[in-house]
Amino acid sequence: MKSIRIYLLLALLATITLVSFLSVLQGYRSSTQKVDELFDQRLKNLANIIVHANHDTKPRQERMINTKPSVFFQIWSDNNVLLARSGNAPSTLAVDLQDTEQFHDINFNQYRWRTFVLKDNSLNRWVITAERIDLRYSLADTIVSAAIKPTVLAIPIAAIIIWFAIGFGLRPLKQLARQLNNKRADDLTPVVLKDTPEELSQLVTTTNDLLSRLNDAFIREQQFAADAAHELRTPISALKVQMHNLKQQANVQDAELTPLVDGIERMGHVVEQILSLYRNSPDQASKTFQAVNLYTLAQKILAEQYTQFEGKNQCVSLIGDKSCGVEGDEFALKTLLLNLINNAAKYSPDKSEIQVTVEQNKRHVCLMVEDSGPGVPKEDYERVLERFYRVDGDQHGSGEIGCGLGLAIVKHIVTVHDAKIILSQSELLGGLCVRVEFKGA
Amino acid sequence: MLINAVIIILREVLEASLILGVLLALSQHNQISKSWSLKALLLGGLAAVMYAANLAMISALHEGVGQEIVNAVLYVFIFTLILAIVYCLRDKQYLKLAAAAMFGCVVLAVLREGSEIIVYIHGFSTIPDLFTPVLVGSSIGAGIGLSIGVFVYYLIVSLPFIYGVISGFFVLVFIAGGMVSQAIQMLLQADLISSELPIWDTSQLVSEQSIVGQILFAMMGYEATPILLQVVLYTASILLTGFFAIGSIKRTQQGNLL
Repeated sequence: MKSIRIYLLLALLATITLVSFLSVLQGYRSSTQKVDELFDQRLKNLANIIVHANHDTKPRQERMINTKPSVFFQIWSDNNVLLARSGNAPSTLAVDLQDTEQFHDINFNQYRWRTFVLKDNSLNRWVITAERIDLRYSLADTIVSAAIKPTVLAIPIAAIIIWFAIGFGLRPLKQLARQLNNKRADDLTPVVLKDTPEELSQLVTTTNDLLSRLNDAFIREQQFAADAAHELRTPISALKVQMHNLKQQANVQDAELTPLVDGIERMGHVVEQILSLYRNSPDQASKTFQAVNLYTLAQKILAEQYTQFEGKNQCVSLIGDKSCGVEGDEFALKTLLLNLINNAAKYSPDKSEIQVTVEQNKRHVCLMVEDSGPGVPKEDYERVLERFYRVDGDQHGSGEIGCGLGLAIVKHIVTVHDAKIILSQSELLGGLCVRVEFKGA
Repeated sequence: MLINAVIIILREVLEASLILGVLLALSQHNQISKSWSLKALLLGGLAAVMYAANLAMISALHEGVGQEIVNAVLYVFIFTLILAIVYCLRDKQYLKLAAAAMFGCVVLAVLREGSEIIVYIHGFSTIPDLFTPVLVGSSIGAGIGLSIGVFVYYLIVSLPFIYGVISGFFVLVFIAGGMVSQAIQMLLQADLISSELPIWDTSQLVSEQSIVGQILFAMMGYEATPILLQVVLYTASILLTGFFAIGSIKRTQQGNLL
């Protein structure tokens, strides 16, 4: 069912039409029967009037009476002599004179006629009166049609009234749909309807229960993220301090501690990335959207990460439109840029080149991070965006610490901002080129 | 006159609305876009006006039996298209063909029945005394015919998929038989088939001129006094369409099980 309103309109209208028209037809049949009886009665009365008004017992041709062409009469003697007739009546017997007070249908003068035969016992005469049947029906049709016409004309009017009545009846449902449709992703407040009808009260109650449970789940999630951040970061920081102290002790070799240090670094990295993924859930991010200058943000991150590039003697450049901005969550965009730039730095060799471009065309604001590193095989472009996927797994050739979450987080942030991410080989530097296209300016 | 108008228009409208209702319901069940229906109604309506406007010229063809021959051809085309629809609905890969056949079927049905309605009502437009009863009667006939079409559509649509398809095919099988029966009737009127004595007469039981008779005529081509050839071809067409329908239903059931 595409539309409840159209279904109800058609079903109701079809029911009303069918029921009322069938009743009308039944009414028509009864009416025509009644009209027939009335016309027959009239024919009978006419014969009786003739019997009482005319006392001819001998034929008188000059007594032809002009009647309406739809009616004629004949007066016959008992021995079948025509005593009088109307001008339009046949000169022969219209019907056999057998029984008195009988109706017959005959053909005469290209028409069908209804006749009535009456025996005048006092003068031993027969009176025949007749009326054209087609004119009878026509008159009956006109009378009954006039009665039926309002019913037929009422159907389109009923259709209009039903259409608006259904619209009015469905108003609470529309109101509910509109409220749910207009709800922001982070708006989990209950739905409130004015005068909730009985049929919708269960739906509204269930929807509000669901919204309430969803709200509780979000609060728990936020609570978890906050607790986890505190509970996980603190022991890792303590471990790092203990490691530093251990290194200071003379009898411990640096080489023996390296796997432990790497392990703690890796754990810290995974925790930070997972927390970042939680913080950037679509429902939570949209409410913090604001104008963010991508160029300035990239400049800031490159400055913060400068020591990383310096350590590997990498050449980093930032080009593009300094006023390029997007509507977004600043923290999420910072995470996105940080992950892309860190990836480029981590997986590109010493003395490699990294270029960050921020530019704007007619339709998009584009952010591009290119490097001169080994790049990613074309067949892995889709998979590197999946969670916990790393090219070559843990045996990654760079030997860098990673958990396969960086690009997954980038993709997640891209989705939150309704943007698009495209991976390709950099035409300029030969390594990986990650292009993020944000809608509009 | 009013009751005559009701019966004549009811027969024409009911036939077209049944075809439209069943085909729309089958489209719904088979997830075929119903956009073809509006186009078919508009094109069929336009074609009906043109056919009615040129009816005098068409009737004069073939020594005055042009109209009967064209009508017989239209009925045979509708029958063929119904066969094609029933066959194509067996497989998803033929659904586009089925939609095209539905479009053609409704165009021809509206053309045939619409032109009859136009000619009938137009014939009374110059007789003011009869025009109002004819218009009122036509509205009643059209209203009843369309209402039955709406009910058939919603009834089939409300059924579960397989029962909906079976019911739709069931109605289509009899409509197809009716088309063949009417084509024979037209050829008899044109004297292209020699008239024989009817093999039975059920007019006392259900008169063709009654409302029930007209509904049966529209639904299954009811004829009170059929000739042998008519009965043979009617039965053959029902068996053929029924055979296609059973094949399609079996394939549909297998598809569902898979």
